Amino acid sequence: MKGKKKKTRIFILLFFALFLPLKAYIGPGAGFAFLSSFLVLFLTFFLAVFSFLSWPFRFLLRIIKGQKAYKKSLINKLVIVGLDGMEPTLVEKFMAEGKLPNFSRLKKEGTYTRLETTIPAISPVAWSSFMTGCNPCKHNIFDFLSRDPKNYLPDLSSARIGNPKRFLPLGKYNIPLSKPVIKGMRKSIPFWKILGDEGIFSTILRIPITFPPEKFRGHLLSGMCAPDLKGSQGTFFFYTSDKEKIKKREGGINIPVTINENKIETYISGPENTLLKTKEELRLPLTIILDKEKEEVLIEVSGQKINLKKQTFSAWTKLTFRPGLGMKIRAICRFYISQMHPNFEMYLTPLNIDPEKPALPISYPFIYSVYLAKLLGSFITLGEANDTWALNEGALSEKAFLELSYSNHKEWEDMLFNAMSKTKKGVVTSWFETTDSIQHMFFRYLDKNHPALKNEQARMSSDVIKDLYIKMDELVGRVMEKLDKRNFLIVMSDHGFKLFSRGFNLNSWLYLNGYLNLKDGKEESDEWFKDVDWERTKAFGLGLGGIYINQKGREAKGTVNPGEKTKSLKNELINKLNGIKDDKSGKTAINKIFNRDELPHGPYKENCPDLVVGYNEGYRVSWDSVIGKVNSVVFEDNTKAWSGDHCIDPRIVPGILLCNHKISTENPAIIDIAPTALELFGLKVPSHMDGRSLIDERTFSLNQKGKKK
Amino acid sequence: MMWVFNSIFGKIFDIIFLPFRSMSPWVALIIVSFMTGLLMLFIFRFTSNQKEIKKVKNKIKTYLLELRLYKDSLSISLKAQWNILRCNLKYISYSAKPMLVMIIPIILILIQLNFWFGYESLAPGQKAIFKVKLKDNYNPLEIDLNVESSSGLTIETLPLRMEEENEINWRISAKEKGIHNINVILKGERVTKTVAVAQKPLSKISPIKIRRNFIDELLYPVEAPIKSDMPIKSLEITYPTRSMNLFGWHIHWLIVYFALSIIFGFGFKGILKIEV
Repeated sequence: MKGKKKKTRIFILLFFALFLPLKAYIGPGAGFAFLSSFLVLFLTFFLAVFSFLSWPFRFLLRIIKGQKAYKKSLINKLVIVGLDGMEPTLVEKFMAEGKLPNFSRLKKEGTYTRLETTIPAISPVAWSSFMTGCNPCKHNIFDFLSRDPKNYLPDLSSARIGNPKRFLPLGKYNIPLSKPVIKGMRKSIPFWKILGDEGIFSTILRIPITFPPEKFRGHLLSGMCAPDLKGSQGTFFFYTSDKEKIKKREGGINIPVTINENKIETYISGPENTLLKTKEELRLPLTIILDKEKEEVLIEVSGQKINLKKQTFSAWTKLTFRPGLGMKIRAICRFYISQMHPNFEMYLTPLNIDPEKPALPISYPFIYSVYLAKLLGSFITLGEANDTWALNEGALSEKAFLELSYSNHKEWEDMLFNAMSKTKKGVVTSWFETTDSIQHMFFRYLDKNHPALKNEQARMSSDVIKDLYIKMDELVGRVMEKLDKRNFLIVMSDHGFKLFSRGFNLNSWLYLNGYLNLKDGKEESDEWFKDVDWERTKAFGLGLGGIYINQKGREAKGTVNPGEKTKSLKNELINKLNGIKDDKSGKTAINKIFNRDELPHGPYKENCPDLVVGYNEGYRVSWDSVIGKVNSVVFEDNTKAWSGDHCIDPRIVPGILLCNHKISTENPAIIDIAPTALELFGLKVPSHMDGRSLIDERTFSLNQKGKKK
Repeated sequence: MMWVFNSIFGKIFDIIFLPFRSMSPWVALIIVSFMTGLLMLFIFRFTSNQKEIKKVKNKIKTYLLELRLYKDSLSISLKAQWNILRCNLKYISYSAKPMLVMIIPIILILIQLNFWFGYESLAPGQKAIFKVKLKDNYNPLEIDLNVESSSGLTIETLPLRMEEENEINWRISAKEKGIHNINVILKGERVTKTVAVAQKPLSKISPIKIRRNFIDELLYPVEAPIKSDMPIKSLEITYPTRSMNLFGWHIHWLIVYFALSIIFGFGFKGILKIEV
């Protein structure tokens, strides 16, 4: 009590000291608080006044521009939950078993059906069709990879990131005078841009092929194909003191470490320093102090100290790379110590662009990612977020992979619910990669005879897939709780999933059948067609399902004349590959070869592979063939954890469509979603769109009125 | 006791300003503002809840971004504004503790600075008023009091006794450079007040000498206090006040100090990783 009284007295004394005839100024401390608070109040006041005063003008401007937002809308809000790769047969099975009550409710009260995918059935292709309502030949995305006909090397199909064009040389530096060139390769117009032009607001979260973000009326966070800080699609790091584990890991970098008296001095490999005339990798010193008794480590990096228990993920850690001249490049990452004894092993996530201080634009408007990061905390910004490569290459255990994937998923859920709460009228679309990546990595548990399970003991079971579907059902349930009758909900997947047990090396087949030739004396070719003799090659396979004819005048060393020669070669290949059997099992490995001449037309048809391979269930292009390796093995077992896939005959991997309303079409396709979104907001479907609306405007509005009553 | 503290504290400032005495007062004010800025940053760092301040500032920024992002939605804008005000109050409350801790050193520093930057010494030939203020129970018309000055000063007038103000004034004139004395003789006892004439650009000028009293001694610490049993309350010289000349614009030193210390504080908070 006495102490309290004393404190009160001191406080009163100090308080009155403020009124002493001192021309009282209570110092910079008060100044800081006063100035900051005043600045905030002033800004708030200014923004509020500006917002109120400008509102009528903005409203008028929209009328002048002819935007009559929501006037003809059949609904208030459209929510699209994209669950990448949800497989209809599994959805139907789990619904029948009563494991997906929310899906079943949607089916009962609205719609459940299979959703036709694109040719090929690959996420970047399908989601591009989803947003544009067009077939691939109109949006120019045919695979993750496209080929450069000048050098036969792969390029990322969705975007090009180039260095700035103008520089100012200054000593050892090349100071950029312009921004880096970032060009999106997806063509056509997403439906949210058309809606936005009419004043309808959209929030688009992580939909694939939205990097670089485009301007429109709404908010967008880029998804699949947004790069990491190294410019790759996700490069993880694996630190180990085990010399036997130092090997090449696809999609990652091995960093060998040495333990000296329980201390490891190593580094984080950052992006290339483009400020320097002689380019070199930026590195950050990283110190790890081991406490083997407590089974934890102390990580010292970028001025931070992080205590981390074994087999626990750190929170997002901010890193700052300094290329020079006072510039800073920010990244975020997470650490995971998988083992401390007898060898040290640590996984480090790819260096994600820091959403709070992005080195590249990852959202529209630019401040949207900053806002999300400040509101919800740091989040993964890499397009292909879940690190399937790390699991595939043994840098991450299955348990850790699942933990990391669901942690990412939680971040996306938070974003979705924030967007939903802030959108009274308009569109909210969110894409969840979780379903795709977990199925890729755990599908083998659905087949006890899968080759990947023969060589190793099964650590998990098919429950992983079942749990995944249940979790997605719960998510949909929570979304449904937030919606009313004037809201339209679409839950969809872009394609389904099938087992990937056997790989087909397309390039080896082409080699063994004389369509692809190797340099003299070579019997195999290393990655990216290193030993291919292009002058004696007629066709080659690239990406996840494409066959390209080595055509004269198109490819740098083309051998096949365009026109009839190309046509007859394609027919020859179609005839030989269609229905090809697996020597070992006798099963059909390829159902159908799709000829691009028979695909729907579009201005970018020239960029489409000449042939698209439609593999049968259980098959896919082999790992070696994807990266341009050639040898004499055509069929091989897939022994990797990546055991489920969809890059096969699109007819056997349709997606799913669930709605909280009835639809009027029997065989909906993914290209129908964009026209449906437009029609729901009372807009005419543009003639360039190939899809058609899933609702009948007249019937739908009558239904709505009935429901209102 | 207070006088001992004042002497020591005053000496610290004498030492700090020693190299700058012949220079423009701007140099010393910039240096002292810089030092204060840093000192206050450190006090702020160790007396505030840095984690919570960072958190609440982040929230304010979030809602400001929300205002910008959802400018077309009246309900979201209003909610964001409410949240900003709420967080701002929280932020101010987090700043209250360091603010209170800072009051003590800042008051002491400001008192000292006022004697260095607040007044100018008299120039030779310049006139000033010497005031003797009496205690309330003494009448200036009746009291028997004499003054005499050292050779550098001239007392130009007879005493002007003002009953209402309870003080006696003389006009004095500075004759030559130096620190001179005026002695007040009362009932055989002498009280001396120093008078600064033509001092260096940066000098400590004491306009008032006061009687022994905690608050008065705190506010006017340069000269030793007058004994409390004497009838005199204070002795004062009306020195000209000094202002800082910025391209012909005359600014009070306190404003310059306020602005500079904040600028230095804000400038170094990032480098020192201190949330303010």
